[in-house]
Amino acid sequence: MKSRPSQWRAFLALSFYALKAMVHNPGTLAFSFAFPIVFISIFGLIGGAGQNLNLGIPDDSDQTNPIVSTVHSLNFVKVEGGATGHLEDRLRQGKLDALMTVSAEGTPPRYSVNLVTTSGNPTGAATAQSVVGGIVDKTNLALAGVKNPTVTLSQQEVSGRKFRYIDFVLPGQIGFSLLSTALFSVVFGFIALKRLLVFKRMFATPVHALTILLAQGTSRLVIALAQTLIILAVGVFAFNFYLPHGLQTLGELIIISIIGLAAFMGFGIFASGYADNENSAGPMVNLISLPQMLLSGVFFPTDSLPDWVQPIANNLPLAYFNQAVRKVTTEGGTLPDTWPYLMGLVAWGVVMYFLASRTFKWEVS
Amino acid sequence: MSTSPVSRDIIEVKNLVKKYGNFTAVDGISFSVREGNLFGILGPNGAGKTTTLEIIETLKKPTDGEVWVDGYNIAEHPAEVKRRIGVQLQSTGFYPELTLVDLLNLFAALYDVKIDPMTILKEVNLEDKAGSFFDKLSGGQKQRFSIASTLINRPRVIFLDEPTTGLDPQARINLWETIKDIKKKGTTVVMTTHYMEEAEILCDRLAIMDHGKIIKTGTPHELIDELLSTGFKKEVERKQASLEDVFLHLTGRSLREE
Repeated sequence: MKSRPSQWRAFLALSFYALKAMVHNPGTLAFSFAFPIVFISIFGLIGGAGQNLNLGIPDDSDQTNPIVSTVHSLNFVKVEGGATGHLEDRLRQGKLDALMTVSAEGTPPRYSVNLVTTSGNPTGAATAQSVVGGIVDKTNLALAGVKNPTVTLSQQEVSGRKFRYIDFVLPGQIGFSLLSTALFSVVFGFIALKRLLVFKRMFATPVHALTILLAQGTSRLVIALAQTLIILAVGVFAFNFYLPHGLQTLGELIIISIIGLAAFMGFGIFASGYADNENSAGPMVNLISLPQMLLSGVFFPTDSLPDWVQPIANNLPLAYFNQAVRKVTTEGGTLPDTWPYLMGLVAWGVVMYFLASRTFKWEVS
Repeated sequence: MSTSPVSRDIIEVKNLVKKYGNFTAVDGISFSVREGNLFGILGPNGAGKTTTLEIIETLKKPTDGEVWVDGYNIAEHPAEVKRRIGVQLQSTGFYPELTLVDLLNLFAALYDVKIDPMTILKEVNLEDKAGSFFDKLSGGQKQRFSIASTLINRPRVIFLDEPTTGLDPQARINLWETIKDIKKKGTTVVMTTHYMEEAEILCDRLAIMDHGKIIKTGTPHELIDELLSTGFKKEVERKQASLEDVFLHLTGRSLREE
């Protein structure tokens, strides 16, 4: 008589039924699939706007001069009219970047351009100043009849894809969804399975403890890969997200997702062993996920963080994951380019599984 | 229903000790269970009944002492022991979001045996609940299913930890019948309870445990006769019926689970 029954059959059944139980739970579906789609749709829609200049030109300003007509011809400048007082309010509220008033005197007219900006919006002020300043200079040269200026500026555009916010945010969304799945479904799932003695009852059968855990991981991997594919599908079909090498990139994303999820689940298993009940697990999950959500380049690039934070931010597991995904998508690389990040993920995984093995329990104490 | 003279001990426990830090949950107990018997472990809460069961079930490691189940030492051959036993835990132990058939199929895979889920459900009168989610069962149905799950691997011995706690009288009587049926088919049953009436009706032999020690073992009648021989008398002469008899006479014995 064999002393251990088939672990393979047990593994398949454990994975399948764990998945079936999760899918039957409406929370899983909402968290895993509805949220990422909503996120991606929102970011996809706000993404396309790009840099605009909102310029107020009061109705009492001179309207028939080369400067105002040039401003109107620029498609990235949105011009708003109205009474001076009203426009000044709009400026203070941050709805306008600057207020431009042009006055004309004498014949032929001499123009003076008055630009009002607010210290509350330095970026808008700088944009307005350089745009309006450039127009004033060009107009001066043209009116002075200078056809051949001493200094000329020429600009070439390197051909490339238009970089949009969705291109930045989609890889981050894949990472964040996987981290959320790994944390929430492992931590709260495991605590429930311990509390209901599901693990203990399984452990009373001849199946290996490792088989039980691997099957739990596998069932979550199926959910996580479905998440990745759904986010990518929405990105590609609804928002023109670009996979540089087509199916190869898709395959590489799946490999990166598997490694990422495995590392993230280490955090989940550690937390589920450390926290005994749902109440203490909540803060713990937030403690792990919130800093990574803010610091790992999910919503904005890590470059914009203070210098001293960057070494921390760039070495968080979610940051490694996001960098690996961006390498094969927006940066057009292939899997070999991502190995430093994948090694980073593996290193985090090794540390977390070691810690998890110290805290793991089959039942709540 | 008495045990045959050739029956042997299927469980042997020798000087079992379990300590948690300074607290001794099980304090050097020894007992044996004869094959085909229904053996009860009685005792108040915290007496060490569940800890004792979980050590025999290989779910907990003893601090000291030795246990054999069907000839296998639990420390040396835990997998062999697990294959030969069926375990019902004090509270349920099943995915709430799976149906009874799903759960039985899952456990069949864990034991690597082929089963017909309906046959097993029939044994505990749950065939009409086959497609129900475990979560939707009543307390008595959950306990009956839990017992059904111990039968999947055709075990030599099953362990039931307070199977009737929290059930109404009708459900309890129904569960007693289920347990008797299982015993009738030759399976050894070890159960814990703190209902004396239940122990008296079901158990062939029992051990009374308190503060981690076994203070008495014997058949229910031996124990009662022993007490009577000391001259013990109930303060009030017992009537021929109890309040439970009144309750069951008025409300009937049929199950009220839906």
